[in-house]
Amino acid sequence: MSSKSKRKLTEALFLVPTLLAFVMVIIIPFLYGIYYSFTNWQGTGAATAWVGFDNYKAIFREPGFLHSFLVTLEFTVFNVISVNVVAFIISLLVTSEIRGRNVYRAGFFVPNLIGGIVLGLVWQFIFSNILPQIGAAIGSQLLSKSLISNKDTVMLTMVIVNAWQYAGYIMLIYVASIQGISKSVLEAAEVDGATYWTRITKIQIPLMANAFTISLFLTLTNSFKMYDVNVALTNGGPTALFMMKPVQASELLALNIYQTAFKYNNMAQGQAKAVIFFVVLTIFSIIQVSYNKSKEIEA
Amino acid sequence: MKKLIAVLLSVLMLMMSVSALADIVICQNKVEITAAMEEFAKLYEAKTGVPVKVITGGGSSDYNTVLKAEMQSGREPDIWVIEGPTGYELWKDKIADQTGAEWTQYTAAAYMDGDKVVGFPVAVEGYGLAYNKDVLEKAGIDPATLTNYDAYAAAFEKLDSMKAELGLDMVVSMVAGTTTGMTWVTGLHNFNVYLTVGNQRNDTTYIDQVLEGKVDDARFHQYCQYVALLFKYSDPDMLINGTQDSQLAAFANGKAAFYHQGNWMDPALMQLNPSFEIAYAPHAFLHEDTDGILVNPPSWYVVNANGNKDEAIAFLNFLATSEEGADYMVNKAAMVPAFTNVTLTPSTPLSKSVMEWNAAGKTYDWQQYKLPDGFGMGTLGQIYELLASGVIDVDTFEVMMKDAIANIAK
Repeated sequence: MSSKSKRKLTEALFLVPTLLAFVMVIIIPFLYGIYYSFTNWQGTGAATAWVGFDNYKAIFREPGFLHSFLVTLEFTVFNVISVNVVAFIISLLVTSEIRGRNVYRAGFFVPNLIGGIVLGLVWQFIFSNILPQIGAAIGSQLLSKSLISNKDTVMLTMVIVNAWQYAGYIMLIYVASIQGISKSVLEAAEVDGATYWTRITKIQIPLMANAFTISLFLTLTNSFKMYDVNVALTNGGPTALFMMKPVQASELLALNIYQTAFKYNNMAQGQAKAVIFFVVLTIFSIIQVSYNKSKEIEA
Repeated sequence: MKKLIAVLLSVLMLMMSVSALADIVICQNKVEITAAMEEFAKLYEAKTGVPVKVITGGGSSDYNTVLKAEMQSGREPDIWVIEGPTGYELWKDKIADQTGAEWTQYTAAAYMDGDKVVGFPVAVEGYGLAYNKDVLEKAGIDPATLTNYDAYAAAFEKLDSMKAELGLDMVVSMVAGTTTGMTWVTGLHNFNVYLTVGNQRNDTTYIDQVLEGKVDDARFHQYCQYVALLFKYSDPDMLINGTQDSQLAAFANGKAAFYHQGNWMDPALMQLNPSFEIAYAPHAFLHEDTDGILVNPPSWYVVNANGNKDEAIAFLNFLATSEEGADYMVNKAAMVPAFTNVTLTPSTPLSKSVMEWNAAGKTYDWQQYKLPDGFGMGTLGQIYELLASGVIDVDTFEVMMKDAIANIAK
């Protein structure tokens, strides 16, 4: 054995533990999942039979899933916008000359360290108990009822809570990117008489394109896969009418899949939904990343 | 080569770090008795040296979801709760035969599969409309007359008109929200009123119809009217936003005359020290008289055939036959035991009322757990919430309920 191929073998061996873990906890369950989505598996070890595309056909006849899909898209759009806008604004704030910016930086990031379930329950208390009391005191019609139990405002609460939790994290990415911009470029612009607004739109934002790629990707996938805040804050409720059928007004896809599998004990159908979920999420992510990549420039 | 061996060894060691322990893991569904049960578990450990761990899912979290997660976790519970045939069929392959266990000779309420004894009755439980005796007396309503729809309609109206002088915020304290996870109150327990009230126990006429996708039109119409009546005199905010705690607090603090819950709420109720007498009135939804509350062993402990089976059965024997077990069931957990050897009587009002109805033989069966998984709490629960929040009226409610039932098999 030549020393070169020996070295290659050693390198390959170093990969084995990680590869083994990856195959066992990601690849094998994933393939199993695809297989189960074509069966009537119940998740209890009872006999399993091949049913072909029956699970997939049933999904597209189900108003609840269709509704979850639309609600998830709606949530994703509003959430990506709100998280990134808020994160960008606070990143400008904490990179400016403002006093106490390090305290702000830490403060904005802290919500991200709180687990989604705790956060959901805390905000549920705020929306269901505290806000209605304030609303009653100031005589506001909208606020005097819980925003969560209103099917028209429940998604707003999801967006607010998620922006509050996630903006701090995205802020860090923007802060790093802003700090990476060469001071000389900005100073030159200032000398040439560029306004603050022009500096942001013509210099900072174009130079931060790769940070936008990462942030949009993270918020997009995060919104799509949102589960913990959803289950703790709204539990998918309240009930709304969709195509004249009762559906859960704020049940996002991940929660819908979970309920199908565990509440309705329809494991195989839940798995089929998860496969569809995976495909859609992959397509969206690829489109988004390739679009943003094309906008990036070298500086 | 040494490196290769080291890597392989470490992988092997990772795989072997799973081992068996001689302890008992119980997965149960009653949040209200968790503290009492954990205390009993400690007592058992002190006595026998066998550690007992209690995992609880229920109340606002979904027990079946928790159980399934535990089953998938690799450390399957040794004892868990089944709530009837659906649960039994689901876990049949794992459930141990307990025929001949010591506890079986003291009860007639064990869960049977043919001749095999497979489930230990957790308790007998009952629910109806619990009422505040003082309030009804002040309003001049005799609870014994509440045996049909018209009597309830008149009583609710009278109480509603006297709310201010009786200090009531609402007539009925009831919850139906999906966000708070309370749809089991409506979709399972209230729906069972339609299934069994007025029938002999074990009469499965209506559940059989429902499972075929059909309902008895006249009876169902009357049932829907009853649901609408309950909701009309409930607090709209409580219906949608109420939790198990706030629902109870409204009743225990004298702010509601009726309370739609079962005697499993006794431990929590006693913590709030209600200052009035409490008993159950029947869910009489028909125009004809039906005089009885809904009583059943709602759930059974089953033992894992692949787990620490002998330790688990020994634990159940201790629970059923020892003085400590009786004390725990009656006094600590405020349950109505299903065992003939237990002579203690409950001191708490709801359990006491259940025992009285039970002794008088005025009971109807529980058949809601024969519904498919998720159907009552999920599918039906959503429709109840639509009615509760005023999105649909009672006629649409009836149509949607029928439609959901017609699609039950699909």
